[in-house]
Amino acid sequence: MSATVAHAPTRWPLYRLMLRTLVTRGRLVALLALGAVGIAVGTALGSSVRGPALIDGVGQVEGHLVAGARLVNSFGLSLLVPVVALVLASAALGDPDEDGTLVYLWLRPVPRHRIVAAAAAASFTVAWPLVVVPLALTAIAVQGGSDLVVGTVASATVGLIAYTGIFTALGLVAKRALVWGLLYIFVWEGFVANAADSAARLAVRTYTRSILEGITGVPLRGAEISSPARWLVPVVVGAVALAFASWRLARRDIA
Amino acid sequence: MIRVQNVSKWFGDVVAVSDVSFEVGPGVTALLGPNGAGKSTMLRMLCGLTAPSQGTVEVLGGDPRRDLELSRRISIVPQQEALFDGLTAYQFVHLAAVLSQVADPDAATRATLGLVELDPDDPKPVGSFSRGMRQRAKIAQALVDHPEVIVLDEPLTGLDPRQRLHLISLFQRLGELGRCVLVSSHVLDEVERFGSRVLVMAQGRLAAEGDYRAIRDLMDDRPHRIRVRSDDPRRLASGLLGADGVVGVRLDGDDTTIVDTRDAPTLRRTVAVVARDHAIRLHEVAPLDDDLESVFRYLVDGR
Repeated sequence: MSATVAHAPTRWPLYRLMLRTLVTRGRLVALLALGAVGIAVGTALGSSVRGPALIDGVGQVEGHLVAGARLVNSFGLSLLVPVVALVLASAALGDPDEDGTLVYLWLRPVPRHRIVAAAAAASFTVAWPLVVVPLALTAIAVQGGSDLVVGTVASATVGLIAYTGIFTALGLVAKRALVWGLLYIFVWEGFVANAADSAARLAVRTYTRSILEGITGVPLRGAEISSPARWLVPVVVGAVALAFASWRLARRDIA
Repeated sequence: MIRVQNVSKWFGDVVAVSDVSFEVGPGVTALLGPNGAGKSTMLRMLCGLTAPSQGTVEVLGGDPRRDLELSRRISIVPQQEALFDGLTAYQFVHLAAVLSQVADPDAATRATLGLVELDPDDPKPVGSFSRGMRQRAKIAQALVDHPEVIVLDEPLTGLDPRQRLHLISLFQRLGELGRCVLVSSHVLDEVERFGSRVLVMAQGRLAAEGDYRAIRDLMDDRPHRIRVRSDDPRRLASGLLGADGVVGVRLDGDDTTIVDTRDAPTLRRTVAVVARDHAIRLHEVAPLDDDLESVFRYLVDGR
């Protein structure tokens, strides 16, 4: 029998391994380029907005804040946050599962939830600066004020938590996780959830949009979730998705 | 150490393993069979990577699928070549040592890499390694936590002859230390060098088990089918009928005689003599079933 020590730290080695495998030059360049688009649009928008905006039921609101909140909502929360999370989180366990290297982790006496948690944490670590920094810079470029920056950072971070959980699990259960994830983002969240109120509650975007609206005070279409649900539900969804991924990892076949 | 009882495994309509039972104790045991025989599926079941559809797999008294602690005592060298390509050999093996909670992962990693003749200070990532070096890195990660059961799926693939000999002697040393070493291979001669007990799988079934020499004799005793092409197949066939060891002769096409024999070397000599005596010109004398597939088919079906 081998010489072993009890409770040796296995979290950090797993986390570091996941970070290394997730960070590839191609991924970083593509995702940074996507974020740069937001900053460019924000800069153009900041210099073109003139005077306050009149909004039904609210009255006059500072024009840069309105333009900025709408840009963060339509570009950041609807596109950048879910797509970056999808690319990274679905690969965190999906790639090692596909290429067969997952066996080197699975066949070690490591609790399955620790493997899943390391994958999700690594994915979040890489995704957060790729999402939040460009979006915060976008909010600053629009000149929407501190509420817009805070709202952007908060809504993007909460959205990232939910999407990271969902897409980490998706990477483990679906063969073409990227395709299924894009279908979820663009067909379900972008189309079905926009068209039907009941479906909207099953879209992460509805909650993140509500957080942005709550902080900036700019009314956004479909932002109808009140506090604290708008904060709690995405976090719970992310956690439940990770718990499901752990359960699945313990029971499925490993290639 | 390993007990497999009436195990079957199917994937949809495809039966990969069919009603297999065997026991394996300490020492080196070879799992021999052609590609697609079900060897890898069987090895994956022994490590808990997949559950049997039917029957029971018991390793070190437990169920490798459910008992997480058993994975501390079982290691596998999988067949697939993929590794964590960005890591060095040291980092790859060290990770395995840390995850298995080895007391001194650094010392264990260096010692194990030395066993497989890899340099622990080599800064090159395993992604840039040759096939043989990758194979050795895989073996090192499997050995670093001193498992009691070591399962190796075609571990000699891609290795040069010197490395093969080195690793075979390493497996034998592990076996002598009381470890259970189960090595799969589809190469008959490779198994001979293990000098060990052999399990033969073919078409998902356990075709034979026992000492290598007994299995080899069984294989050599099977009827062989030889194709002889000549300019007068009818006269050749009549000349061969009744010859020593010939169990059947038939004609195939304009120039071919198919001969079934229990003694292929004698038949080759007889064919030459008959051809000379009848002034027949021989074009080709070739075995039709000398491949390993037909050997295994014979062991399973008796044909």
